[in-house]
Amino acid sequence: MDPTPQSNGPVTRRQFLRNGARLLTMTGLGVAAGALATRSTAAAWVWQIDPAKCLHCGNCATQCVLEQSAVKCVHAYAVCGYCQLCTGFFAPEPNELTTAAENQLCPTAAIQRAYIEDPYYQYSIDEQLCIGCAKCVEGCNRFGNGSLFLQIRHDRCLNCNECAIARSCPGEAVRRVPADRPYLLKTTSR
Amino acid sequence: MKPEFELFDRREFFGVVTKTAAILGLAGAARASTEGAGTANPFAYDVSRFQKTDPKLIAYEEVTRWAAPHKEARRLAIGPDDQLYVCAGNYISRLSRSGQTGLELALAGPACCVAAAADGTIFAGLRDHIEVYDAKGGRTARWESPDPKTWFTGLATDGKDVFAADAVKLAVLRYDRNGKIAGRIGQKNAERNVPGLIVPSPFLDVMIHRDGLLRVNNPGRHQVEAYTFDGDLEAVWGKASAATAGFCGCCNPIALAMLSDGRIVTCEKGIPRVKIYSAAGEFESVVAGAESFPENAHACNDLNDCIHGGLDAAVDADGRIYILDIVTSQVRVMQRKA
Repeated sequence: MDPTPQSNGPVTRRQFLRNGARLLTMTGLGVAAGALATRSTAAAWVWQIDPAKCLHCGNCATQCVLEQSAVKCVHAYAVCGYCQLCTGFFAPEPNELTTAAENQLCPTAAIQRAYIEDPYYQYSIDEQLCIGCAKCVEGCNRFGNGSLFLQIRHDRCLNCNECAIARSCPGEAVRRVPADRPYLLKTTSR
Repeated sequence: MKPEFELFDRREFFGVVTKTAAILGLAGAARASTEGAGTANPFAYDVSRFQKTDPKLIAYEEVTRWAAPHKEARRLAIGPDDQLYVCAGNYISRLSRSGQTGLELALAGPACCVAAAADGTIFAGLRDHIEVYDAKGGRTARWESPDPKTWFTGLATDGKDVFAADAVKLAVLRYDRNGKIAGRIGQKNAERNVPGLIVPSPFLDVMIHRDGLLRVNNPGRHQVEAYTFDGDLEAVWGKASAATAGFCGCCNPIALAMLSDGRIVTCEKGIPRVKIYSAAGEFESVVAGAESFPENAHACNDLNDCIHGGLDAAVDADGRIYILDIVTSQVRVMQRKA
């Protein structure tokens, strides 16, 4: 057996052109596949707020590129204590526990309070009014069990390449999540 | 002919440059301060004004403090001869007024509450049952759990009856000295006009007042309720508010004690503070405000729903108020200011 490798013969012009054409075709296919993959990956991820990291700083109301923020308060009813004195609903020093405007904490009166049975009340968010300021979230987390929290609503979010809220979030609570699981919902207290 | 340009000399040039630099500097500083103000949260939930108490309202001063004999302190009570009983960890310790440990009971589980009768009998509340000890620490009885979900958080006795507050079953159980349940107090009952206890977190307390009625905190309603031993609701007082005169948060007050003249000492969590009300419920003064318990105030910011925060209080015959800080496991002795 001859140990020396066989040397290739000279490449003909036809072979050279054929190889060149193959190389170009493969390169083009690769670039196209890469571009498609990148585009589909970008579409498969959306921005969301991790409630466990949220600091209720108020930036969500002011930093979003939309005129009214894509961030809204969300209520985990399974977590809520249905408190008579909801610290997410009432100002710290209410005159009385009624829905009078001066007793409410929310700057836009976006939380609805409905009587259930003595002494329990249900609190729900009017998303048209909510500006995502997190004032109620802070109140609920500070003295309650944290059933109020913020989420980016994907019927409003533009899914910007660089989210302005994420850029300014002091708790680094805004991150990309898979589009097929676009919400980070609370199921237990805090 | 008037010249079009007037040349500066060196002195004028430096003067103009200096003025310009000064104006630019001031403008920059003004902008920086404006930007700094802009970073403040316009939607801040501000309760800072309640976390610092008006000094005029504080009627007590700290005399001394000591550490509880064990970690995870929960409750304290005053027994005969002004001895203190502290529940901490799996122990109930009997302390002198200076904090020296005398008797110590080692329990099978966490000590949740305690009461001592005039004859020295000690009633120890574990989570779901009560154990009875004589004055020397010998166990004389074990009262079986009334319900698998029972969570005793408060005990009181007049020597004849024992009242045990069950924070889960939302009732104060009346036991006789043999451990037989003689009644349930505080449960919702429209016929007796009892609205029912609301206890979102495990802090239900019971106390026997010198007027012969029980006092039970109803934290979910931010009230203190007075019941007869038979369970008739006689009086209610308390207002929900973060302001000093009210009871703050989702559920306060969490613990009660009584001064010798019948005034009532209340403890709160969230904004941790100890206050005094008249027997009829009129706010009188502050024993210690939130600024006295920074670790306790911080406890409610953690991910524990404030279950591990809170305070307890007991009063001795001289009117000194002992405050147990559940977070630091320290006992503070407070005395009325001269």
